[in-house]
Amino acid sequence: MTATTIMPEARTASATLRRNFWRGVWRVMKRKPSRMVGVVIMAGFAFMGIFGPMLYPERLPRDTSALYAAPSWAHPFGTDFEGTDVLALVVTGSRYVLLTGLVTAVITVVLGAGIGLFAGFRRGRWDSVLMRITDMKLTIPGLPLLLVLSTIWKFTSAIEMGLVLGLLGWGGVARAVRAQTLSLRERGFVEAARGLGLSTTHIIGKELLPSMAPYIAMNMLIAVTGAVYAQVGLFFLGVLPFEANNWGVMLNLAVFGGGALTTTAALPYLLAPLLAILLLTLGIVLVVDAMDEIFNPRLREE
Amino acid sequence: MTLIGVPGRSGVIAVARRLAGHLARGLVMILVVTTISFLIIRNIPGDPMAAKYEKLVEQGMSPEAAQQAVNVLYGFMPTGSMWEQYLDYMKGLARLDLGQSLTVPGTGVSTVLMSAAKWTLIPVLAGTLLSFLVGIILGVYAAIKRQGKLGDLLAISGSLLHGVPQYVLALLLGAIFTTLIPILPAGGTADIMFEPGFNAGYIGSLVQHATLPVVTYALASYGGWILAMKSSVVTVLGDDFILAAELRGMKRSIIFRYIARNAILPLFTILALSLGLLFGGAIFIERIFNYPGLGLMLIDSITGRDYALMGGAFLLITVAIIIANIAADLLYTVIDPRVRSGGEAA
Amino acid sequence: MSVTSDKRAPGVRISDLSVVYRTPAGELPAVRGIDLELVPGTITGVVGESGSGKSTLALSLLNAVQPPGRISAGSVEIDGLGDVVALGGDDLRRARGRHVGYVFQAAQSSLNPLKTVGKQLLDLGRSHDVEDLPGLVKEARSLLDRMGMDGARVLDSHQHELSGGMRQRVGIMLALVLNAHLVVLDEPTTALDMITQATILRIIREVHEERGLTTLVITHDLGVVAEVADRLAVMYGGRVVEQGPTREVLGDPRHPYTRGLLQAIPRLVGDIDEARALPGRPPTLGTIPADGCVFRERCAVRMDVCETGEPPVLTQGPRIVACHAADMGPEAVTEPAKERQTVTAGVGDTPTTGEEQA
Repeated sequence: MTATTIMPEARTASATLRRNFWRGVWRVMKRKPSRMVGVVIMAGFAFMGIFGPMLYPERLPRDTSALYAAPSWAHPFGTDFEGTDVLALVVTGSRYVLLTGLVTAVITVVLGAGIGLFAGFRRGRWDSVLMRITDMKLTIPGLPLLLVLSTIWKFTSAIEMGLVLGLLGWGGVARAVRAQTLSLRERGFVEAARGLGLSTTHIIGKELLPSMAPYIAMNMLIAVTGAVYAQVGLFFLGVLPFEANNWGVMLNLAVFGGGALTTTAALPYLLAPLLAILLLTLGIVLVVDAMDEIFNPRLREE
Repeated sequence: MTLIGVPGRSGVIAVARRLAGHLARGLVMILVVTTISFLIIRNIPGDPMAAKYEKLVEQGMSPEAAQQAVNVLYGFMPTGSMWEQYLDYMKGLARLDLGQSLTVPGTGVSTVLMSAAKWTLIPVLAGTLLSFLVGIILGVYAAIKRQGKLGDLLAISGSLLHGVPQYVLALLLGAIFTTLIPILPAGGTADIMFEPGFNAGYIGSLVQHATLPVVTYALASYGGWILAMKSSVVTVLGDDFILAAELRGMKRSIIFRYIARNAILPLFTILALSLGLLFGGAIFIERIFNYPGLGLMLIDSITGRDYALMGGAFLLITVAIIIANIAADLLYTVIDPRVRSGGEAA
Repeated sequence: MSVTSDKRAPGVRISDLSVVYRTPAGELPAVRGIDLELVPGTITGVVGESGSGKSTLALSLLNAVQPPGRISAGSVEIDGLGDVVALGGDDLRRARGRHVGYVFQAAQSSLNPLKTVGKQLLDLGRSHDVEDLPGLVKEARSLLDRMGMDGARVLDSHQHELSGGMRQRVGIMLALVLNAHLVVLDEPTTALDMITQATILRIIREVHEERGLTTLVITHDLGVVAEVADRLAVMYGGRVVEQGPTREVLGDPRHPYTRGLLQAIPRLVGDIDEARALPGRPPTLGTIPADGCVFRERCAVRMDVCETGEPPVLTQGPRIVACHAADMGPEAVTEPAKERQTVTAGVGDTPTTGEEQA
């Protein structure tokens, strides 16, 4: 096979992909309604993070006569130790959580994809050095490191938190993207483009990235969940100062303040943020599953 | 053209070379982690080491004696250049001298850590083993029945559990089994009413207290196993040698063994990763169930400003992960002849 | 099933064999109405392109068509074994390996990568309740030695330590070691270099004669068939379009497809442009015409009747041809093909998504 026969094929293939993309998306969505649910859940969380806090006053009202109140119409998830509505806490707390997740995901993906592409594209010495570093980063236990870091760094804003999590979390994406780049190289993609005299920027930007974009997008979604878990977990452990309203803080107060693991009173307070995390996970798992099928024609045919 | 390789001696050399590589990488890792610890502890706001030193000198101690006292306490020299302090810290580490614990006064950090390590190690290993076995068996089942409803269900349960973080699982299990249906103890390692030792009451209590942590470890990694095993079995089922064995009239039981052994192989690389993850996750599980392992020790040392202990716990968790990695890789080497003979293995 | 110890080569009669594959578009035939006889003690070659159904035919001999495929009609009678299509369960398993030896494609790995050849040999022996395992090992070693290898060392080796040609010989050994007298070789020389190919073919021929076997060789390479086969069957679109003694079929092809195959082979001497590929592509599972002749889309002598009528099966002595135009004489099909494509050796494997991968 020669270069000239590969490239037009690849190009028409990507054009067809684009044309049929939305039709394909719709078909995949329709086939399993659960995927639609996933999209709805994710949209719901996005809405909650953006507009949720606007629905409540700056300082949430406290009902001191109803501490740890049981779920009712006025308080669907009861109230906390100060008599604040738990649902309101979940909604207002979502912004910090989701914003961190977003910042982390962007940093993870940009760094990971950049390093992975570079290593896979250059190969040779750069590759082995970068991958050694990546391996090492993957082996250093992330959570203990975060905890140790928390003694000198307080992660006050969501952006700051996202930055740290992103800087710690790009290893997996870098490895995956590198593997993809290498396998694309093996398929003769790059050599063929070189043979046509295309520039490196063009090869990476126009040939490699588009074919990897769905893969990277999926990784980004997974990175969001990872970041949400990590920061909620950090706040839950109680090693960080409770600056903002946040699901992790709620969990901490419910378990270590309210004794949710010994008495039933604080149970709704504990379960509300847990439910939010589980729902977010479910939504992302379903959407990733759908994306997998949209971008992976091999699965579609089965 | 590859001719017949010579397994014997060259195999041993290949294994030894792999091991040496691992150890070298492990040492670098330890160096990185201890350096991070050092930098962090030296940069803690307020510089507790210097503060202690000043205080001792103010109390009338000679500078040398005060320096000695601080060094014993923290494993740090409070004076001198950063570089001198670093070398000193490293020298201490090389002698396995991690300083003194503040939370348990008069005890060396290494002693405190060693007594905590068993409370992490045993539940983590038990949980991993449990989930590995269950996950692999169900994974094979999910692969064989992948067209059916039950196979689907198993796969979905796997991806959901795989996605849920450990602390969420731990909290849910805790909420169910200690609050709603209080049949299991909420924390600790054993009831204080039993005399520690080899007696039925104490051991029973130990098991009872360990149940929730172990089950959480197991559930947290079970999803990963079932998914990995399923896809691995599906891959192997499509391999030619399985059809070839069938066409040679091999017994089903033998073919099943062929499938199982080939499918498990790639999981050993995941085993290492998963162990690492679990040691990290131990922090949550031990905190939630108040289980006095390394993770809880790390948190307590941070909240209690016991920095020598913090550095030590961080180091030990890292070492545990390095050892888990080496063990998993060696196991892999023993099972896969392609790696063993040092050939151009897949 | 009792182990028959008769040393005579078995005959095989395949009658009206059809295999269908279940697809989203319904059950599609991969092999339809095949009648083929393997004469005891002969080597029969089956040639065809990818997707012609030849591998499916080979698997049918062991009743081993893989799902979603199944044998929908017909029978495969093997002497000393009965109708294989009716066999099932343990009887079928015992027949495989013991009565019918099967050799896989060379390049593909038919060995468990984690076990030595010797250990897999013992597994095979245990599967077939061989009591004298040391005897089995001895037999295997002498077979390997016989094929020009160091038997003891090969038995001690893992698959990754063997070259493609060596693996292929190990495959042949495993097919013969239980004393099977019917041997099926599926693409035995594909992906091997020319010298190894020649060696393997020589071994097939020699072992066949020495042991008095009935052998079926499946290939896409006419050269292989010309080299080893006594009889030849040409498959296209799931049908046997022509069969007969190899020399006669190759010397005087009657079916336009056979003719096209021969014309596609480039000669070492002479103008390379003389070799011309068949126009068009072979049909895949979904595009095989349901009525009429399966080859008509690419046929140079196509007539109206080919659209609707099943080609008549003409028998002339040992030769059988299924073609409407077969009795019109060779001149009718000599006009050159209109389109020129790449020159391929043999039939060439056009990538298709037929049942070969299934």
